[in-house]
Amino acid sequence: MDTVTSYTRFPTVRIRELKDDYIKFELKDTDPSIANALRRIMIAEVPTLAIDLVEIETNSSVLNDEFLSHRLGLIPLKSERAMEMRLSRDCDACDGDGSCMYCSVEFTLNVKCTSDQTLDVTSHDLISSDPSVVPVDNNLAQDINGFDAPEARGILIVKLRRGQELKLRAIARKGIGKDHAKWSPAATVAFQFEPEIHINEALMESLSLEEKKEWVDSCPTKVFEVDPQTQQVVVVDAEAYTYDEEILKKAEAMGKTGLVDIISRDDSFIFTVESTGAIQASQMFINAIEILKTKLDAVRLSFDTEEADDQFGELGAHMRGGGM
Amino acid sequence: MVAETKPSILETESKANIRKVKFEESCKADGDLKYADPRVAFEKELYGGKHLEVPLRSTVDKFALLPAFLKVKGLVKQHIDSFNYLINCEIKKIIHAKANEKITSDVDPNFYLKFTDIFVGKPCVEQDYIVEDITPHQCRLRDMTYAAPISVDVEYTRGKEIVVRKGKDGQGALVIGRMPLMLRSSRCVLYGKNEAELAKLGECPLDPGGYFVVKGTEKVILIQEQLSKNRIIIDTDSHGNVAASVTSSTHERKSKTNLAVKHEKIYLRHNTFGDDIPIVIVLKAMGVENDQEIVQMVGRDPKYAGILAPSMQECVSLSIYSQQQALEYLGSKVKSSRNMWVKAKRSKVDEARDILANVVLAHVPVIQYDFRNKCIYIAVMIRRMLEAMLNSEAVDDKDYVGNKRLELAGQLLALLFEDCFKRMNGELKKHVDITLSKANRSTQFDIAKCMRPDFLTSGLEHAISSGNWTVKRFRMDRKGVTQVVSRLSFIAALGHMTRITSQFEKTRKVSGPRALQPSQWGMLCPCDTPEGEACGLVKNLALMTHVTTDEDEGPIIALCTTLGVEDLSMLSGEELHAGSTFIVFFNGTILGVHRRPLRFADHLRKLRRAGKIGEFVSLHVHSGQRCIYIASDGGRVCRPLVIADKGVSRVKEHHMKELKDGFRTFEDFLREGLVEFLDVNEENNCLIALYEADATPATTHIEIEPFTILGVCAGLIPYPHHNQSPRNTYQCAMGKQAMGNIAYNQLSRMDTLLYMLVYPQRPLLTTKSIELVGYDKLGAGQNASVAVMSYSGYDIEDAIVMNKSSLDRGFGRCIVVKKYSTSLKKYQNRTADRIVAPQMIATGKNNIMAVASRCQLQDQDGIAAVGEMIRPGDIYVNKQSPINTRDDVPNPMAMKDSAYKPTPQTYKGPPGECAVVDKVLLTSNDENHFMIKALIRHTRRPEIGDKFSSRHGQKGVCGTIVQQEDFPFSEKGVCPDLIMNPHGFPSRMTVGKMIELLGGKAGVMSGKFHYGSAFGEPSGHADTVHAISNTLIRNGFSYSGKDFIYSGITGHPLQAYVFMGPIYYQKLKHMVLDKMHARARGPRVVLTRQPTEGRSREGGLRLGEMERDCLIAYGASMMILERLMISSDQFQIQVCTVCGLLGHYNHNLKMSYCSSCKNGASIATMKLPYACKLLFQELQSMNICPRLTLSEA
Repeated sequence: MDTVTSYTRFPTVRIRELKDDYIKFELKDTDPSIANALRRIMIAEVPTLAIDLVEIETNSSVLNDEFLSHRLGLIPLKSERAMEMRLSRDCDACDGDGSCMYCSVEFTLNVKCTSDQTLDVTSHDLISSDPSVVPVDNNLAQDINGFDAPEARGILIVKLRRGQELKLRAIARKGIGKDHAKWSPAATVAFQFEPEIHINEALMESLSLEEKKEWVDSCPTKVFEVDPQTQQVVVVDAEAYTYDEEILKKAEAMGKTGLVDIISRDDSFIFTVESTGAIQASQMFINAIEILKTKLDAVRLSFDTEEADDQFGELGAHMRGGGM
Repeated sequence: MVAETKPSILETESKANIRKVKFEESCKADGDLKYADPRVAFEKELYGGKHLEVPLRSTVDKFALLPAFLKVKGLVKQHIDSFNYLINCEIKKIIHAKANEKITSDVDPNFYLKFTDIFVGKPCVEQDYIVEDITPHQCRLRDMTYAAPISVDVEYTRGKEIVVRKGKDGQGALVIGRMPLMLRSSRCVLYGKNEAELAKLGECPLDPGGYFVVKGTEKVILIQEQLSKNRIIIDTDSHGNVAASVTSSTHERKSKTNLAVKHEKIYLRHNTFGDDIPIVIVLKAMGVENDQEIVQMVGRDPKYAGILAPSMQECVSLSIYSQQQALEYLGSKVKSSRNMWVKAKRSKVDEARDILANVVLAHVPVIQYDFRNKCIYIAVMIRRMLEAMLNSEAVDDKDYVGNKRLELAGQLLALLFEDCFKRMNGELKKHVDITLSKANRSTQFDIAKCMRPDFLTSGLEHAISSGNWTVKRFRMDRKGVTQVVSRLSFIAALGHMTRITSQFEKTRKVSGPRALQPSQWGMLCPCDTPEGEACGLVKNLALMTHVTTDEDEGPIIALCTTLGVEDLSMLSGEELHAGSTFIVFFNGTILGVHRRPLRFADHLRKLRRAGKIGEFVSLHVHSGQRCIYIASDGGRVCRPLVIADKGVSRVKEHHMKELKDGFRTFEDFLREGLVEFLDVNEENNCLIALYEADATPATTHIEIEPFTILGVCAGLIPYPHHNQSPRNTYQCAMGKQAMGNIAYNQLSRMDTLLYMLVYPQRPLLTTKSIELVGYDKLGAGQNASVAVMSYSGYDIEDAIVMNKSSLDRGFGRCIVVKKYSTSLKKYQNRTADRIVAPQMIATGKNNIMAVASRCQLQDQDGIAAVGEMIRPGDIYVNKQSPINTRDDVPNPMAMKDSAYKPTPQTYKGPPGECAVVDKVLLTSNDENHFMIKALIRHTRRPEIGDKFSSRHGQKGVCGTIVQQEDFPFSEKGVCPDLIMNPHGFPSRMTVGKMIELLGGKAGVMSGKFHYGSAFGEPSGHADTVHAISNTLIRNGFSYSGKDFIYSGITGHPLQAYVFMGPIYYQKLKHMVLDKMHARARGPRVVLTRQPTEGRSREGGLRLGEMERDCLIAYGASMMILERLMISSDQFQIQVCTVCGLLGHYNHNLKMSYCSSCKNGASIATMKLPYACKLLFQELQSMNICPRLTLSEA
């Protein structure tokens, strides 16, 4: 057992872009399994709050009760508190009727259209019992023309016409994306393997300027450029490369196989994470790491025995601390 | 240029082929006459008569004509036109017909009743003597018939005086019945209404109309296809002999006349004659006693005369020379008619003459026994037969669309109406005779008071609601003429209106009528036909097809005479076929001959284009038969085409601009002779170019848009011209099963079954047809992001893998709404059903609750409350019925509770699922029956086994549902909604689907809808793959539509690029929830004690014969015993070993006993299937004695 080499690596994260609902970062010195685990957790296991129970008192709108409930459920709610909250099935402080502060948040909606104009019922009309849990508001304020941007008007639930009324009580609960997509905080989580591009300078120089331009243009995305001064082909944006191999095919067609060498590095990943707004994209990533850690802890604790070591073989030692 | 003379054609040529060549020359000459276009003349001058390779002309985008056409003609205009014709013209013709106009009495010769006029009024209903206007939607909801009163003006005698009763304001004086109205016909309240007005009437503006609402159900009268009436059809019988047949049809009579060849002689075959009649005798009986004239009439050409000789000889051998002899011969062959005893007996000769005049070839009029026209008609028939004997190409094709007529709602209803009207008149006459024959009447007899309107009303209503068309007069007895409009999807309803059924038997295995006919180009959709037994027999109209209605014959006949058609009576037999003369047929009868056929045709066409005669009059010069056929009859299919002069389209850029700016309508195009309607026969005289660029100087017409050869259903398919043909056919069938939106008024309708999609979408890849029919407004599907790859193994055999998150977000979610209705019956003893509140208990201060859990969804009125959950077994109407419904009850309005028995209406739905009460309607119909209709709504998300399909006939069930994190993703973050297995492509060859994916992807990226209209690439109505690829490249995608994908499970890139993009997917109505079924124990049939059959009865799963065979072969005898007896209907019986009959077990004596031996000594017990015991007893009841002989095993 002592001879087992260490698997420990020290991954680094370098943030490239950071917005409230968007983050782009590099994850280096780790392997695809870790990167993918993080991606999967962000999609399916980072908890958020979403409306889960709807009690409809009056609904004279055109949409039926189930339809409305479904729409309500999909409205993202600000869920910073979600990590501390309890899942309602694990909550022993309540019986799940929504009056429990540990596991649920109550919303009410009471709208009636009295004018001749169509009334849009939006997520703004949802009144929350907890000021920290409110529908996501992409407050882009006003657009250039001074009108409300469509996003600023909230998420449309239903349109009411004169005389129609909607009155309901909704209970938001904590949950994870695995159970229902409404609890998933991720709009998009994707990563790519970082490409490494090596241009065979010698071979490249054998091309004329036209040929270089032709070759550069054959790439559907803007990866290469011909430097106007030096007339050399340079890599401007390696990550724009989509592994389409067009450029390799082109080189082959030009009879210059091996003009460029592209390898995808499997220890370096570029993540793009977009959040629904329920939690900040950066927080989502941090939560994901947190959850991954607890999950690994669970594995480690439950199998911290000799049998478990046998069961997992080399990995058993690894899980307990990389054989150190 | 050749002058107007046609030198060659005037010379009589004996050899047909020479004539043909010459004829073509004359065609050219005739064509040159039209060389009046100044532009062509200019070109000629400019280029010295030489043509350029490509003539100077700009191609005009004629697409805008299509919406203009559909605006005036609509998709179901043929139905509406034909119905309008019925209620505005035909109905008047019917009552003015000689046989119908007057009712007289056999008793009082002075009595008469005359119908002077007839009107169909506005839709209304009379209730408690109050006349109220009705709308179609009211009728649908209240189970009423959308009908209008038929009223008549009459003139009749009352005692000595003559009473004239006239109504006013388009209303007659007397109501004689009610006519079910076609929606959007000229009498319908929806006629000419705009969108807002339609919405107010509760009607969907996209609904095309063209159907009826009878007793609350929407019924469409299918278009019936049949062989054309009154036309000579040359055919070969099973022995290969040539035969000519004519189905004559007039208002009075329908008869079929056959000419057949037997032993090289020609015979007339008609069902009024018991035997075949030699044709020469028939001609002689008609007054052509001269053999020479007969030969001349048929044609003097020796090749014809030669074949005719045996027939002539036979006549001589029967020694028939004169008309009298011939008539006597015919008289002897007449079948004795059944109602001979009614009329005074006439002589055989008179009878034969009458039959010849009125029954044989009934459509050729014989006035005062002048048989001249009929003789010539027969001669022409013979000539055509002889021609077909010499040249097999002259045999007619029965499947040719030009030989077909489509019978529409108007025509069918006209038949029915006339029949009912005649029957009503008969009844009236009977009534009159009875009343007038009574000696002393207290009051004066007024026939107006005896009219019973329900005779016509129920006759029409019943026929439409049952679909049984029985017209005894014509021995017509058709079933399934009407169908309930399929409201499964918007397209299903629309497709139903354009459907055509054939009268052919479905069981017969003939390929001819089922095959695709080249002549159906542009008229009938080549794709849309069902699979299976009705394949090819049920067809659909193409997008631009119009079906004609009857047109007045008089003016056209007069015009033909003016244009130089020589009357038959002025011609000898010789002149009939002489030289260049062509015989002119008009609607199947011979009008005369014309010496300059092409000039005549040209003139008539010019008159038509100028609007002087109806636009649907067709003219067709048949050079082979040397005939001109003019047709103005109803039921011909035709379509509009752009007229071209010498290959130059008459529709120019400025016309289209005017159309776009609203200064011009489709009618203007017609009136100005830029566009005309051509029927199938006339198309034979034309050279139609598909595109303007393809036109040559010989081109006479140019297609408006090539994609109009497809129908409504096939129009939904993007790039259908890239697909393998059967795939388009499959899609046509599946588009009708797709859920989506049905109509704008779908939520206010009360359909028995309604499937709706929660989030229906408009297809990303559309076609022009989609926009024209409104599928973009009432879609039936969703744009799914599809990855074409293999995943998980649950995608074999066309199964698809679905993304769970997509389903969570609403993909494929649907609402199933089912109607449950009940009515409160009234019984003869004046008792009635009632609804009572369920028994309640108080559960709180202000709360009460029903005691029974299955009544808890009810309000206090005993009817389910809207918005409540409903589970199988729940009672939605707490109804009670009186126990005694026969005998008189003292106070039927206030009976004791004990006089009622509960008859609760329970909801039966899928077990374990709970639905919601969507809507409850309390109403009564026009007969004051109180009704309760409840809609039960069930929202479903897709589950494993639900059926989906793209628009390319690629159906598949959901194989598995996978979490989003396990789904593959691209580095852009795109994750598909569903995964389709690539094995679906190679054998199906649905290239259109691939292009749809590409186009959809490009559409998403560029933010616009791409088009994929059929054959649309040259005209720009379909984006080319090349253009799409460029768009993809511009947006940073691969031109091929393939993406670099990572596995969601491992995070590693996949080995191959994956073809990924949006495809419009339809959710089909077949769902697992409605079909799944299993049973361990359950109900049994009372009679046989075997398990019940079928899912609806919670039946058992049958171990069938083939399964049994397997078990026998395997030798699993105990298994067979267990499956077929123990688990089914095992029964223990007592058998008397002495007599072998069944005994019984007496429980009092505690012993078995044989009742036939009167002895309980030797009884054995054994087990057998109850069905077997039943068989023994049934046999015994038939006096067959089955005895069991038992032996120890």
